[in-house]
Amino acid sequence: MATTSPGQASHPADVDPVPEAHAPPGPVAALGGSAIDLFLGGKELLSVFIRTLYYSVRGKREKGAFTTQMYEIGNKSVFFLSITMGFIGMILVYQSGLQAKRVVPDYTMLGATYLELLVRDFAASIGALMLATRVGAGIAAEIGSMVVTEQVDALRMCAADPIDFLIVPRFKASVIMTTVLIVWAGTVAYLTGAATAYVAFDVAPQTFFNMALIDVGDVSVGLAKCLAYGAAIPVVSGYCGLSTFGGSEGVGWATTRAVVNTSLTIIILNFFISTAGFLIFPG
Amino acid sequence: MPEDAIPRHTQVFAAAGTAFLRVATTAGGMGILLFRILARFFPPRIDGGEIWKNLYKMGVKSLPIVAITALFTGAIMVVQAATIVKRYSAEGLLGWGAGFGTLREIAPLLTALMISGRVGANNTAELGTMVVTEQLDALRVLAIDPIGFLIVPRFVSIVATLFMMTLFADALALFGAAHTGKALLNVDPVTFYNGFTAGLLDFGDVANGLTKSVVFGVVIGLASCHFGLATTGGAPGVGRAVNAQVVASAAGIFVLDYVTSFILG
Repeated sequence: MATTSPGQASHPADVDPVPEAHAPPGPVAALGGSAIDLFLGGKELLSVFIRTLYYSVRGKREKGAFTTQMYEIGNKSVFFLSITMGFIGMILVYQSGLQAKRVVPDYTMLGATYLELLVRDFAASIGALMLATRVGAGIAAEIGSMVVTEQVDALRMCAADPIDFLIVPRFKASVIMTTVLIVWAGTVAYLTGAATAYVAFDVAPQTFFNMALIDVGDVSVGLAKCLAYGAAIPVVSGYCGLSTFGGSEGVGWATTRAVVNTSLTIIILNFFISTAGFLIFPG
Repeated sequence: MPEDAIPRHTQVFAAAGTAFLRVATTAGGMGILLFRILARFFPPRIDGGEIWKNLYKMGVKSLPIVAITALFTGAIMVVQAATIVKRYSAEGLLGWGAGFGTLREIAPLLTALMISGRVGANNTAELGTMVVTEQLDALRVLAIDPIGFLIVPRFVSIVATLFMMTLFADALALFGAAHTGKALLNVDPVTFYNGFTAGLLDFGDVANGLTKSVVFGVVIGLASCHFGLATTGGAPGVGRAVNAQVVASAAGIFVLDYVTSFILG
């Protein structure tokens, strides 16, 4: 709790070294405390991000770490991502088919509209939410265990910055593999969507595979999302892992925070990139 | 079995079999856990105080995160629909279009993913820590049933939390969507809200989403309790358990989402 914040000094009687010892914080203090916590957390997160970028260019390269992380983040997520994206593809087409049925029972543009939404948003955002749970939780659990067992302190003793040594390989691997995985995830979702459209609404695959609505705007918004999410996942979850404290319970907390914060970051980034995309490419 | 004992060309089968057995073990463990939880209801042998404590910890404390997620989700739905609405200049249908997807699919799904991350992961971490520090054994020594005392209240609270949070998220997402529509497409919120009541949406769509939220709640509750109880191996074990829970919940949510969507139609 940020109980020593300047916002609390407005109550003169409370200005003593440990105010929380006798008075629980009022609503204003609680709000101010969490605002200050949020601000400090954001500042620290930004510093981790900037240091990650700096070390990605200038840092030492550990042999093999990058490839190992590509395998850990990329190859090991393929199965999970294929399953979830396959099902989401079926769900989305089924729901939008039901939706179309209520207004105009015309399915000729179903595939084209679905593909546009997939490229613009759903492949990247839902795929990244899935990666945030799998990859983000994994990164936080691994780094958190290292912090708790004092391996990170050992790294500092050896004059190796934990950000250079632990986060940078994950960052590089994640930026590349997120993009690759999302292209794959979109393909899987599109194929299962086509199968659903054929089975449930009798849309021929030739009609469904229609790329007429895809333009530069859709592809660039989709790619921008891939890169932004790929960069956000390791930085946010790595930060949560590095700020672990307090034994096995702490590792659990760190992992929880990593999943929640990474998912929230993705949703907020999605909002801003989508709005910017809509304003730049009104389509 | 050592890796090199298996001939190379059968390794892929060995890997597939191992993966299958692992999935089967998890599913079986969750099934048995569900059975044991249900057995505590007839007659009820549940700690009432624990239920209230958990409802506060899981429900009330998750409100801010659900509110932020829902507001942004509603906004994103409108931003995505905006391109299509502009193309056909169908401003009057925006409320219906965004409302349909939000109520039936996106609000329950994203709320479930956030609750799985916050509440489910937390629950696994807590139970995992208790297992690792042998607190569950201590309960058994005191002749307190760990399922009735720890698991059932958590399970009930998770299902109830997700149901209530989905109601809340539905409302907030539509609110966020209405105001994004005003800002981005200049669609009046009144026109937007009229889109819900114009006859294209009915209570069935809301009920559809809420039914899903109960199913997701059962999945998250079972997965988080199962992986928490199955934790082994100290602090890294807790991290691994949380990771496994999040992955299993997400996969389970998507698979059951599809199944429920098809059954409810």
